[in-house]
Amino acid sequence: MEGRGQKTGFKRRLYHLLLWAISIGFFSPIIWMIICSLKTREQILTLPPDWLFVPTLKNYIALFHMFNFTKELMNSIFMSLSAVIIAVVVSFLAAYSFSRFKPKGTDLIMFLLLSMRMVPAAAVVVPIYLLYSAAGWKGTYSGMILFYAMFSIPFSVWILKGFIDGVSQRFDETALVNGGSRMHIIFRVVMPQVKPGLIAAFIFNIIFVWNEFLFNYIIGGKQTATVPVGLAQGVSVGMSIQWDFIATVTTFYSVPLIILIFFFQKYLLVGMTFGTVRGEV
Amino acid sequence: MRGWLRNLENPRYLQHLLLVPVLIFFIVWNLIPLFWLVGLSFYKYVLVTGEPLKFMGLANFYEIFNSFGIWNSLSLTFLFVIVGAGAQTFFGIILGFIFWDSKDLPFRRVALTLIFTPMIIAPLASGSFFRIMYDPVFGILNYFIRGIFGVTIDFLGSSAWAFPSVLIVDTWMWTPFMMLMTLAALGSVPKAELEAAEVENLSWYRRLFHVVLPHGKFILMLGILLRTIDSFKSMDIIFTMTRGGPGNATELIGITLYRQAFDAFNMGQASALAIIALLIAISFTSIYLHVFRKKEAAE
Repeated sequence: MEGRGQKTGFKRRLYHLLLWAISIGFFSPIIWMIICSLKTREQILTLPPDWLFVPTLKNYIALFHMFNFTKELMNSIFMSLSAVIIAVVVSFLAAYSFSRFKPKGTDLIMFLLLSMRMVPAAAVVVPIYLLYSAAGWKGTYSGMILFYAMFSIPFSVWILKGFIDGVSQRFDETALVNGGSRMHIIFRVVMPQVKPGLIAAFIFNIIFVWNEFLFNYIIGGKQTATVPVGLAQGVSVGMSIQWDFIATVTTFYSVPLIILIFFFQKYLLVGMTFGTVRGEV
Repeated sequence: MRGWLRNLENPRYLQHLLLVPVLIFFIVWNLIPLFWLVGLSFYKYVLVTGEPLKFMGLANFYEIFNSFGIWNSLSLTFLFVIVGAGAQTFFGIILGFIFWDSKDLPFRRVALTLIFTPMIIAPLASGSFFRIMYDPVFGILNYFIRGIFGVTIDFLGSSAWAFPSVLIVDTWMWTPFMMLMTLAALGSVPKAELEAAEVENLSWYRRLFHVVLPHGKFILMLGILLRTIDSFKSMDIIFTMTRGGPGNATELIGITLYRQAFDAFNMGQASALAIIALLIAISFTSIYLHVFRKKEAAE
């Protein structure tokens, strides 16, 4: 930006200090959460807070001895991966068609897909609940996975169509002239060029399914419960709030996402705006 | 076999074939439930009582518009959206400008990861966690407040404090998003124009209104719209922290819908409410696309 030359080294360092203070400020509730997860329940409840304490991994070990938690964690991993893989593949094919052939009704379908993203979850859950009860899909893995895939599709189609639009039609034409089949074009010519779009769609759908709570709570069952559902149910046992449990689960469950965002930061913008805004921060 | 394969290659068939999986998803999970929803909204249908469906015409909608509870939750929702999205936009833009010149920040990637964390972790996790930070007896926030002001605030348990307390958590979660959008908007301003403004020695507000905003305004508008829509949808965070309570102090429209459907099992009424929410969402979508097209046209 302008004016860099005018600033002295000291001012610059002060500026960097400010930026870091802001960053840590935003993160501080999570730091507190991590600290709590390393304390025993008595230590968490001690006020004034125990700043000097011997960290213990007791809570984490206890967590993995809970049968429910390991099962919920497996569910979270399994369902988010399978739903997202289905969604991205299916959306990629559709996005190719929308981008290249522009079949009749493309605009309408794109609009309807986007609307799906804008509807409050509580409004979607009512008819889905009725459908799932009637069809007997409640609490089944396939029911949950297909539902999550459906929920990830609008977003993926939007992102991928934007990226495929950005790949020149010339590539398709050249390959056709050289005798390449459409399948060859779709998977070998276009797909490698929209890798960033695929990654963005993948990451953001994973985050969505990983964090999703309401639908699993309503249309899932004991079998298919993910960690957020387990967390909601385990917050209090009787009248006592499970402080150590909350701190440990939230920390443990957030770490993979924080790592993901660290490595894939440049896809954050594309993902959060479903492809309508691009560029790096 | 050959002929079949060749048909597959023919764009006339291929274009539809590629859409089939998405359309199946769309029909089974969107269209059928939607028709169901529209149909049910004309009926009285309470799940647990086992009463048969009773056709009511528009009575469900009539009831909604005459119910105090729903107007109350609609106005709470709008307050939540306006104050929440407003605060997030305000702070986000300020932070965006502060971080504009941060390209040479040491460990910038780590710093940005720390800032963006609130918006990507599960709302259920942050909600549960703030619940224990807000605790009147053992919570860390009340420890500091007792130390400074000598009083204890029951953040989530008193009807005066519950709404602002939830709003604060929402703002913590989503200010980083508006900051991200501001950074993107600022990044879209061509360097040459900024340098020209520097050479011309333009005043800061001329730079803002003649150089920065003409390029960045659409991205900012998309950001504000997304925040509006998403905070209109807020659900998980309130569900964990207060479940709409105490009383209905934090009962936004999503929670009302949830309570109608899954506490009262009044599916007819809930469907009618869902349709109203759907229409609001569709109008938001149209506005969003309108801005998006304008942005595309401007580029």
